[in-house]
Amino acid sequence: MKYFWLGSLLSLLVSACSAPPVKQASSPVTIRWSRDPGTLDPLALSNPSALDAANLLHVALLSIDYQANAYAPALAQALPQIRSLGDSLTALDYELRSAASWDDGQPVLATDVDFTLKLLNCPGLPNEANRAQYGFIQEVRLDPANPRRFTLICRGRGEDITIASGDFPVLPESVLDPAHTLRYLSLAKLQAWPATQAPAPAVAALVQRYQQANLAREPSHLPGCGPYRLAAWETNHQLRFQRKTKWWADKLRPAPQVLQARPQELVFTVLPDDAAAALALRRHEVDVYPQVPARIFQQLQASTKAQAEFAFYSQPSYDILTAGFNTRRPALRDKRTRQALSYLFDPAGLSAATQLGQGRRTVGLLPPGSPFYNDSLPLPTLAPDRAVALLRQAGWQRRADGHWWQPGATSPLALNVRYRTEEATFATTALQFQTAAARVGIAVTLLPAESSALTNLLQTGDFDVYIRLIKGSPFSFNFATFLHSSTIGSGNITGFSTPLTDRLLLAIPTEGDARRKRLLLRRLQAVLRDEMPLLPLFYLPTRLVVNRRLQHVIPSGLKPGYALTALSWPAAANSN
Amino acid sequence: MPPRLFLLRTRPAARLALGWLLLLVIVGALAPWLPLPYAPTTPDLLQVAASPATSSGHYLGTDSLGRDVLAGLVAGARRLVLLTLPAVALAILLGTLAGAAAGFWGNRRLRLPLAAIGWALAATWWGLRLPGVAFLCGLLGISAALTLLTWRAARHPTGHRRYTCALPLDGMVLGIITLLGSVPRLILLVALAAGPPLATPQLLALLALLAWPEAARLVRGQMHWVRAQPFMEAAQASGLPLSRIWWRHALPHACRPLLAFGPLSLAGLVGLESALAFLGIGQGPDVVSWGSQLASVRHDTTAWWVAVFPGLALFLTLLALQKLAKLASSAVHK
Repeated sequence: MKYFWLGSLLSLLVSACSAPPVKQASSPVTIRWSRDPGTLDPLALSNPSALDAANLLHVALLSIDYQANAYAPALAQALPQIRSLGDSLTALDYELRSAASWDDGQPVLATDVDFTLKLLNCPGLPNEANRAQYGFIQEVRLDPANPRRFTLICRGRGEDITIASGDFPVLPESVLDPAHTLRYLSLAKLQAWPATQAPAPAVAALVQRYQQANLAREPSHLPGCGPYRLAAWETNHQLRFQRKTKWWADKLRPAPQVLQARPQELVFTVLPDDAAAALALRRHEVDVYPQVPARIFQQLQASTKAQAEFAFYSQPSYDILTAGFNTRRPALRDKRTRQALSYLFDPAGLSAATQLGQGRRTVGLLPPGSPFYNDSLPLPTLAPDRAVALLRQAGWQRRADGHWWQPGATSPLALNVRYRTEEATFATTALQFQTAAARVGIAVTLLPAESSALTNLLQTGDFDVYIRLIKGSPFSFNFATFLHSSTIGSGNITGFSTPLTDRLLLAIPTEGDARRKRLLLRRLQAVLRDEMPLLPLFYLPTRLVVNRRLQHVIPSGLKPGYALTALSWPAAANSN
Repeated sequence: MPPRLFLLRTRPAARLALGWLLLLVIVGALAPWLPLPYAPTTPDLLQVAASPATSSGHYLGTDSLGRDVLAGLVAGARRLVLLTLPAVALAILLGTLAGAAAGFWGNRRLRLPLAAIGWALAATWWGLRLPGVAFLCGLLGISAALTLLTWRAARHPTGHRRYTCALPLDGMVLGIITLLGSVPRLILLVALAAGPPLATPQLLALLALLAWPEAARLVRGQMHWVRAQPFMEAAQASGLPLSRIWWRHALPHACRPLLAFGPLSLAGLVGLESALAFLGIGQGPDVVSWGSQLASVRHDTTAWWVAVFPGLALFLTLLALQKLAKLASSAVHK
């Protein structure tokens, strides 16, 4: 037995002292994910990991060029030609790349785009968020003279709709609808299909085929025209993507930045715990560590060894730490109660504690540097006195036991807070809120949950207050996916909606006039601040640590924080 | 001088151990009234992961969430007093009663009226709301008939053993002990505690449920030895009822090894509770214990004070309990 322990100790020492493995050009690039994607169903991508994976399997008309920090044509030959149709419609003329093809060699055609848009609006499929996001596309007009040309007729104007019109993965019609049954139904008809009415036979059959394909776990049943295929998926452990040996974009000269796919293999290791991820990075089991917490980033930067082995990048991101209130709960229906609770968060202190002061405080869902930012609103602050005053205004009475009661209520004001476990920023925020609430007589129970369980709990409305990140974007201001009444139960977790906010949410993405758009966005920020369904605390910086030997690292403030497919190991001749 | 006190006087390590445990109990009991500058769960946002040398007001520093380490240590001591100690007491009580009963009555000595079994079955059936009203009615009828027969038989001088059956108490207790012992304790605890955070009484009951078999096994073994002693035969010959012999004469002798076993059991549960807290299972994030403090060092591995102070408290407590067990064992065998 003692030899066994001695042997184990020696092997540990040897492994600890051994040099990092030498990576060849064909070696896989290993990336840390904080969570499992859960589903790879292209219509129901529920978290950033799933979005990253979908971008490897499928290609959209337009993609983000992380180097230029702008949208660039991907499946489309060029950015769309924009034409105005009357006062309120815009026509976007697209042409697909002639080289674009599916894995079986068949070309990607306009009919595939038409089919995808219909799928995104098909009743009976899990596409509520997509309906809200792409509902402004009213019609797809195919060019009879060129099967790769088509025109999207969109409601509204402006750059937002141009970008949003091409930001969905194009799916093959031949796999899901080989008989082309959906071609006989117009997009507008599908969009307007009443929820109470049974779907058309063609739609029902398609929905059945879609569900039988089990795309959530078997993305190979719907092969996309992306550069990678899923080779292995061990749930909550690892996903392995292999580069297709023949990918249509390899023929393009010069290769567009958005269509570069250098790594032969991408391995995503699911490590929910940040300390474990940092250890894996130090042990060279992970080559790319995005979204690094402030303290771990600081520690790594302070280490001479880590400085020699890793490259560090930090820049502002569009991720907002938010607290949301379940407006369906009777205690939280009154906006004054929600306003009162918002005064129990300390954004300045939390930014200092969790982001080393690098978080950017904000009044709303837009970054402070944006021209649409409503700078007339005050920044949210910790103000327990104001919270107490607002609670009184909302009809709450403080009894001798120190708790707050509504007249006739059977229980006092008590809240539960849900957030993702294994994340110090969320835990600190929750503890700070709990402490501040306890001081004014509100009992708060903390209920952290694992990420996939948390998503389910929030979508089913099993919470009073949540703390989570909201992913923003500098390109478009489509907040309908998580604030519009049509997405209650899916993206709209707070359950909040008013006719005014619904109107604003639909008008903003389609507004072409910058001045009017600014007014609409400022109004939306003011309304949300007043109604307080959610409280944006601050924007987080994004921090990225990568193996220093990796080439073509393009950091970005946009998710996932770097250009994933641009990464590569140096050629063998240069490696040491 | 009594031998136990003599041992205490002659062994300074034992005195230190007892002193440390006493300090823990006092601190744990008085925790809400101690003049600590910070509450254990209140984050100090301006001093996150601050070392004892640089932080102001935090004598042992703060963890990665800004919580005071000293306040956390005190909360850990309170958890020891409110959770682990009662759990051990409950486990020993349960284990002693079960083990002593199994060892004393064995599989044949305790006889129950058949009617009582019928009534118990019927009550269980009704309590679990199982289907089959006819079956329940039949069971009640049979139980009533058996009760009547038992009552009539009891009037006869030789009929008191009729309509009774032997309860295999020893087999039942051993079966449960084997069942609980077939899965490692930590794994069983993790499986049972997984899910929403448990309230302190629930966790206490769970710890007691997992800890009682050891006490039961020990007492059962000792009871077998006690049963063979001459004074037991004398007690039976004198005509004392079995229940009185068990309670007044057998049980006190069978419990003697528990003096040494108690501290060891406590040490085991302290370790188990800390492991559970370290894994973050079964308790909310706003419950601070030594285990959860140790776990928080993962967020900032340079904050050595977050690991050292709770680790030291845990180590000293386990060491002190080992010492106490050794002392008690010496006293028992003196």
